[in-house]
Parts: sequence; structure tokens; C-alpha cells
Amino acid sequence: MKEFELEPGEHVVMESRKHWFLFLGELLPYAILLAFPFALPKLLALVPALASHTASFTYQTPLARAVLGVWLLIIWTLAWSAFTRYYLNAWVLTNQRIVDIKQHGYFNREVSSLFLPRVQDVTTDVSGVLPSLLGIGDITVQSAGAVDEFRMRGIPRPEQMRDLILKYVSTEPAKGVGV
Amino acid sequence: MPDQPLRPFSPPSIPSDLLGQLHLPTGMFSAGAAVTWVLYAVFAIWALYTLVAIYHWLRYSHASLIALPAIAAHLFISFALMSYTLSGHAFFFASYLP
Repeated sequence: MKEFELEPGEHVVMESRKHWFLFLGELLPYAILLAFPFALPKLLALVPALASHTASFTYQTPLARAVLGVWLLIIWTLAWSAFTRYYLNAWVLTNQRIVDIKQHGYFNREVSSLFLPRVQDVTTDVSGVLPSLLGIGDITVQSAGAVDEFRMRGIPRPEQMRDLILKYVSTEPAKGVGV
Repeated sequence: MPDQPLRPFSPPSIPSDLLGQLHLPTGMFSAGAAVTWVLYAVFAIWALYTLVAIYHWLRYSHASLIALPAIAAHLFISFALMSYTLSGHAFFFASYLP
């Protein structure tokens, strides 16, 4: 991560992203759009009035093939872009601070640091059957005097992140540095 | 529109070769040129979008082991789809595409 340089004596303890299962959920619309041209002939066949058009979607002519290829290229590129955004959104826990990197979109990036001595409270929230089974939850870090809180939704094993934060909060001496 | 037999495929070496392989049905309201320009526009937008994404990968995730494989996978799959669009040959996708 180029946005922040590690200070002398600082090292990365953990890097966390949204749980892969939630990312798969984000990919679902793209998967449906990807499958749509192939499902279309079968869907048309179900409607008697449109069944005669089924042959138009066999993609055997160069033009139909070109349209299908462009469609697949667009959907693939959008899905890959979603992966890019997923990967570039991260929480980095070092032995001195938490760095929250938010990639809202291309050329729209927000990086915030919260130094561990300022941490007052760490809350995890795992609610629901599936999140409990998969270990997906939210983590909220409240800092001293700050209106804003650090929150990351849908990370894997939030308890592990909380325990690590509290471990380094207790070992890191106060430096008087702020957000 | 009558079906036309697929043109025998000769492996393209560079994208400009791919673009040169576009053969569309004639007599379609002289739409061949229009479709060609539409494809040029789509590929140009794809190239711009891909450059921006690659810039972000390299700028913000340069130390990650994921960056280069992610970029390579995107380019590989995209070029296969472009090849399919232009020539009907989809490399490793051939068994999945009509």
C-alpha cells in the first residue's frame, strides 16, 4: 500500500477485506447477465407467441456472434472491476494504528488512520445464521474525542481482529498522535 | 438473415490483426461499417477502462501478489472474448460458446 509508509518499528499485523462470500454475492448480478444470452432461447421457447424467434439466438451468424462477444466482454470487464474495488478496499492493522482504505470508485479513494492509543472501544457484531456459520461480521472502533468511528462491514472473523486491536492497544504506549 | 459458414480461423498475433478479421454479412443496410465502428468504440472504451483499472492495481496494490495475476487474467479473458467477437475463435472458451 503506497498511501502510507510504515514508520520505524511499525509492522503490519493483519490486513482484512470484506468476506469472500459477500463478494460472491456482489458477483451474482454479473453472473445472471452473463448467462442471460444463453438462457434467452430457452426462455423464448416457453412463450408460444415468441417461440418462433428462438432460432434468432443461436449465435451462428457473425453479427450475432459479435453482439454476444461484446456483451460478454462488457459483463466480464464490469465483474473484474468489481473485484478490483473489492480488493482495493481494506483495513490494515499495524502494531501502531488502524488504516482504513476505502476505494469508492476509480480516482475516488479515502485513506484514514487511527492510532491505537486513541482507541476507546471495539465492538463486533455478528448477526444472522449465515454470518454466524461463515464467521462474517462488522467491527466498529470508537476513538477518543472523534465524532467519526471506524467501521468495517462484512469482514471475516471480526473477533480475531478485535482481539488483535485490543492486544496492540494494551501494548502500544500512548504517543499523543491523533486521527 | 441467412446463416453463413464460419471463416477458417488463422491465429491472430496482435489486436490490430484481430480487428482486420471482421467479416460481417453484406447487404445489411450497409451496416458492416457501422458495426465495425461500434466495435472499435467498444474496444476503445474497454482499453481505457482497463488502463484505469490497471493503474489502480499497480498504484495501490503494487506489493500484492494478486495484482499481476489479476491483470493477466483480465487481459487473457478479454482478448479471448475479442477474438470470439471478431473471428468466432474463442480459444479455451470454445467449448462453452456457440
